[in-house]
Amino acid sequence: MWRGLARPLRALPTAPGDLSYTRVLIAGLKNFVIPQNYDNISIPERPKLKFIDKVPSVPKVRREFKNLRDIRGPSTEATDFTEGQYGILALGGGYLHWGHFEMIRLTINRHLDPKIMFAVWRVPAPYKPITRKSLGHRMGGGKGAIDHYVTAVKCGRLILEVGGHCEFGEVEHFLTQVAKKLPFPAKAVSRQSLEEMRQAEEERRRNNQNPWTFERIITSNMLGIRKVLSPYDLAQRGRYWGKFFLQDRV
Amino acid sequence: MHFERQKLMAVTEYVAPKPAIPAVCSTPRVHAKKEENGYAKLLHRQVAEAFQDSKMIAVCQHCFTPSDEMLMMQHRLRKHNIHVKFFPNEIVRPYLSTSKYKNLLPLFVARNLMIMSPEIKVKEMLRMLKRVPQISLLGACIDDTILSSQGVVSYSKLPSLEVTQGQVVGTLSLTTSQTCALLQHGAGHLSALLDQYVKQQSGGTGEPDGQAGEGQAEPGPAFLAPFINHALHIETDGRKRVQGQVSSEVGGDSWEGPVSCLNQQTGS
Repeated sequence: MWRGLARPLRALPTAPGDLSYTRVLIAGLKNFVIPQNYDNISIPERPKLKFIDKVPSVPKVRREFKNLRDIRGPSTEATDFTEGQYGILALGGGYLHWGHFEMIRLTINRHLDPKIMFAVWRVPAPYKPITRKSLGHRMGGGKGAIDHYVTAVKCGRLILEVGGHCEFGEVEHFLTQVAKKLPFPAKAVSRQSLEEMRQAEEERRRNNQNPWTFERIITSNMLGIRKVLSPYDLAQRGRYWGKFFLQDRV
Repeated sequence: MHFERQKLMAVTEYVAPKPAIPAVCSTPRVHAKKEENGYAKLLHRQVAEAFQDSKMIAVCQHCFTPSDEMLMMQHRLRKHNIHVKFFPNEIVRPYLSTSKYKNLLPLFVARNLMIMSPEIKVKEMLRMLKRVPQISLLGACIDDTILSSQGVVSYSKLPSLEVTQGQVVGTLSLTTSQTCALLQHGAGHLSALLDQYVKQQSGGTGEPDGQAGEGQAEPGPAFLAPFINHALHIETDGRKRVQGQVSSEVGGDSWEGPVSCLNQQTGS
């Protein structure tokens, strides 16, 4: 009589979608997860994102060239975390104007809990003047007047950092919300996930079975291919095309 | 993109490694061992301690009881140093399977509780359990003996240790007392008869010799009956039982009288 009770209780499938197996009902011991220790993290005095000016305090007199180099290729600054634990990583190049800044600031400040979280900008205020000609005029007549200012962002740069007594799961939601609205592809990352991403890239580069790599062909200029490639491709190794970052390439 | 560049991009694409035997086939399916959390380890230790410290372990089925009734029951049991313990089955079962209480495994199946005590107080426990009908006794392990619920009830009805010890001593000393009685029986009987004869002789000097002779001829039962009755009324239960056994063995109420007289004399 007792042997039959020793086996765990099973429930038969009732819904039509269920497969033919029986579901085992087990009530186990609750696993109490030890909460994380945030002792070494301090919240600064002004935890929320600062207001970003539309126009720099000393507006530029000289109209600047388009200079798309500031979008092209991988970023050299703000590629690693400094203060916070989580952030938004740019996966493509682009320009952020004041509207983007306001959107980011309002969304993040709305979702931040100032007692336990803080956020920090990792991009400068708009500095690059963009000119626009007045509507309806023909070509010519000189360069247009300065219309607005933008910040150039290259691929691999952190836009902002969030930190505090919080976990990635809590923060990820609004960071992805913001990342989707940016003019370039972006994603929410934590210190750990960024590290993992870089290691995965490295792993792919190492175990690539293709004997022909872009780098190899371009450095040895096989088939005179450099005639159709740019000098920048030597450094970018086929992973970047203009402002775009080609993720699948190795 | 220039067509040559397109071709270059197509040629230099990533090619993933493809082993001859896929990793799925070569690596064995090993379930990652879940690290036991601290609470489970603590419970294991507590279970081990509880089982080692207690002599009486009763397992009961634990249906829903109102909390105040449960609390009162625990309080009453605690006064007799009986503790009510709750452990999850998944902690207790591995411990039992490796210890000497293996045969208690079938009891730890559904919702249950354990009643443990370093002393053995079965009567009190049963009394308390009777007051709470929702908790029913499944089985117990008292002094390394596994008992069912009926076994526990009959265990509680056993006499106390002193009484049983007295019984054992009495049974053992039965033969020796018998021997003593048997050896003294003949002489005692004779002396009693002679006493009677002397009394008759002294008391019945006026009576004819024939009567005395008759009295002599029939010494035994007629004169000894009042002595027998007297003895039976005075003696304690223990002695009486012994006497009864003696008489049953020897086979005659007549022997009771002189023996009881002798014992009375020795007692006084």
